[in-house]
Amino acid sequence: MGQYVVRRLLQTLGMLLLLSILLFALVNLAPGGPLAGYGQSRHILPDRAEILKRQFGLDKPLTVQYLIWLVGNDWMRVDANGDGIIDGYGTRRGILRGDFGFSFRTRQPVLVEIRQRLWNTIYLMSVTLLVALGIAIPIGIISAARQYSLFDIVVTTFSFAGQAVPDFWLGLILILIFYGWLINPFTGEPLLPSGGMYSLESQLVVLDRIKHLILPVTTGALGWIAWYSRFMRSSMLDVIHQDYLRTARAKGANQRIVLFHHALRNALIPLVTLFALDLPYIFGGSVFIETIFAWPGMGRLYYQAATQRDYPLLIAILIIGAGLMILSNLLADLLYAYLDPRIRYS
Amino acid sequence: MSRKTLLRGLIMVCLLGILVFTLTSCQTAEKTEQTQSPQPVITDTKAPSPSSITILIAEDPPSFNAMISDTGYDALVMELAMLGLTDIDPQGNIIPELAAELPSQENGGVILDEENGTMSVTWKMRNDVHWADGKPVTADDVIFTWNAIKNPDTGSWIPGIESIDSVDKVDDYSFTVQYNTIYPGYLMQFGGEQLVIWPAHYCNADQGFAAWDCGRKPLSDGPYILEEWEAGDHMTFVRNPTYYQAPKPNIDQVIVRTVPDASVRKTMIIKGDADVIMWTTEPIVHDLENEANVKISFSPQNRWVMRLFFNTAAKGTVDSAATPHPILSDVRVRQAIRLAIDVDTISKNIWFGYSKPVWTEFFRYPYACDIPRTLYDPQAATKLLEEAGWTDQNGDGVRECHGCKSAEEGYPMEMELITYSEYGEPLVLTQQLIGEMLGKVGMKLTLTVVEGSVLWADSASGGIEQTGNFDIDLYDDGYGGVDPTDFIWSYYSADAATPDYGWNVGRWMNEDFNSLLNEAYTLDEAHRKEVFCQMAKILDQEVPMLLMFSTINAEAYSARLEGVQSTVNDLVTWNVADWKIK
Repeated sequence: MGQYVVRRLLQTLGMLLLLSILLFALVNLAPGGPLAGYGQSRHILPDRAEILKRQFGLDKPLTVQYLIWLVGNDWMRVDANGDGIIDGYGTRRGILRGDFGFSFRTRQPVLVEIRQRLWNTIYLMSVTLLVALGIAIPIGIISAARQYSLFDIVVTTFSFAGQAVPDFWLGLILILIFYGWLINPFTGEPLLPSGGMYSLESQLVVLDRIKHLILPVTTGALGWIAWYSRFMRSSMLDVIHQDYLRTARAKGANQRIVLFHHALRNALIPLVTLFALDLPYIFGGSVFIETIFAWPGMGRLYYQAATQRDYPLLIAILIIGAGLMILSNLLADLLYAYLDPRIRYS
Repeated sequence: MSRKTLLRGLIMVCLLGILVFTLTSCQTAEKTEQTQSPQPVITDTKAPSPSSITILIAEDPPSFNAMISDTGYDALVMELAMLGLTDIDPQGNIIPELAAELPSQENGGVILDEENGTMSVTWKMRNDVHWADGKPVTADDVIFTWNAIKNPDTGSWIPGIESIDSVDKVDDYSFTVQYNTIYPGYLMQFGGEQLVIWPAHYCNADQGFAAWDCGRKPLSDGPYILEEWEAGDHMTFVRNPTYYQAPKPNIDQVIVRTVPDASVRKTMIIKGDADVIMWTTEPIVHDLENEANVKISFSPQNRWVMRLFFNTAAKGTVDSAATPHPILSDVRVRQAIRLAIDVDTISKNIWFGYSKPVWTEFFRYPYACDIPRTLYDPQAATKLLEEAGWTDQNGDGVRECHGCKSAEEGYPMEMELITYSEYGEPLVLTQQLIGEMLGKVGMKLTLTVVEGSVLWADSASGGIEQTGNFDIDLYDDGYGGVDPTDFIWSYYSADAATPDYGWNVGRWMNEDFNSLLNEAYTLDEAHRKEVFCQMAKILDQEVPMLLMFSTINAEAYSARLEGVQSTVNDLVTWNVADWKIK
């Protein structure tokens, strides 16, 4: 197993390097550029554009830009002011030394931009995922145990609806109902806030945080509940007809023991690996939910970087996301092998 | 470790992590950035009960330095905390801010050397303005700001920067700007909605104008001090007790919240959870106008004019002389398009009647020219197209060239009309309606919507306009401030037709116009206006670009507020110190 892990990690590094080349090329070669529509005016004048190109490093060939992005240019002598005279060493250290560059939009280091938003997204998405699992697993179990019952049919229908309903529509409807229409009878305020992470004036801090979580978590969890509950149901159905459960029943075990003590643990194995594959979403966030609920997270940051062609920030988010996806695949494989002794990697 | 234990452990760790995160991040409101503004020297003597308002914006400001990104959101917050030498009011009048008076030839502040075509401007500053740490705002700060801007490595650019030879200190509160040309826009060069004066003793020049830390943690000399900035969420400002217009500002606290969705912003102001929505668009204005607790402030002048850009060079080329556009190079066709578009119907049906017809670049104070409006007349358009050699002989509803100026015989009158996506539904509907109107006079338009960053990118990035890869574009634009000269140069001058050198993407060339443009660089206001009006006549005749209507510049605000005034010359917070809560 150890050799397998080492081999996969080495493969991961190789894949990330290839991905970095592909992503860098795709982002830079796609139509559009960071200087287009710059500012309130639709256009910027050429003198300003020239200064910005030099400051952004866009005046260099793409291969040189990639090299600087990867390994930095503090070992190279550069012409910083564009007068044709080499006048000093560069200031970039490259991503291999932890320097992801600076955002074209804010001029802040990219990692600072990401750090400002990352915890907000982890907070929201992890709560969403846990709520989704907490609801989906029991629903899946009950649906499987009472296959074709009214509960099963209703849940199945809502599952399909939940997967079909768009996040942005659901979020706006929830805001309309719980913020626009419904009133807290004790305070006269809207029942739930329209968005944001917390209220600036609230004294009941934990309660305030929970109130701000309700709508975005509900919006985000619905799709996941639908997905996981269907998967749980299917997994349970595979397990509950196994011979060892028939033996357990024959030996006098009640339905609760059969389901939760014997069946669930085996039915959860595929779900755990699925969960591991969904872990990158905790870091990536959701553009729709963060936009509708004004949540300052990674999803909005990514969308802004993409539409405004903030190349360093965009590439950093894509590379980090790709790395997390590869690692989560590895984690899923390892978890699966750990939980199911029948699985062995050579 | 057993599998059960592992699973239980994982679940407990996750739950514990969330609980700890929730509790610890709540103990103090999570502040991504805490300002480092030093304690003010003067004790606040205002009454203790704090008044507070909330301004909603769609995007987090990149920094306080509007010169760097100019998103508008940066300028909004910049106006809260910083001052420039001058500013502009909504009527277009330039007002002194840090300047004690506006330099002019009459008061000796401006000295012209007409023989050499140069000038010098001596500014006198107020001596009663202080930074929040108590230090005075002086000429040293102006020169520091200028040196930082012009630094070739880390600086930026301001309009007319190439016209300035030097900025020299005279004494602590005055300095002289030496120009190598006659530059009419001198009054707004160190002020307005983009440029403020930065503190020499606080900002780190080594970090550079574009990226210095004080751009995100400013030292205020304006009405408010930045107290807290939660990136992507909100900024909290508190009154600056050292503000030179004490006892203003009237409101103790201003919170700027980022709420990206327009309908959520609308709902919040209706519910009373917000006091101002920056840049309220026509559909939202229409929804809010009947709300009892919401008012709308319209800018008395308009800036953004919806216009059609005609490419007079063949699609995919950039030389209108060598490869003229087969259809649009004929001025009669452009005039016919103007006759065929019913601007009033577009305004009424799509823009809720808020837009106003505009048909000349020179429609704003102080350079409004009397150019008669060409009214909607599809019959006249048809007649003009037939005179130009475009007739429909095969009866398919689309005209072909039969004796036209620049196309081959039988060439169909088909073109592509491009607009950009970020504006939203009103612009796309306008595009569709224009397509229908021109279809009725025998032009077939293919409608395309692209990202703005693709439409306006430079030619190396595949920019549609700079590569000439379009027939007709549709979007709004207009100049900030009161001086249209740079804007007109960038859109109509022959030099600006060179790819990536300007924005004359229609490649329109007119020698008379270029000569007049050069004459516009004068301080003689009467002559400038005369020149502009002659230019207006040429534009009206030639129609290199079809101006149609202006879109509103408006802000929705709570009825409990007084003093809010929208303006195209600045952001709505231009007079925030004067706002009051009723």
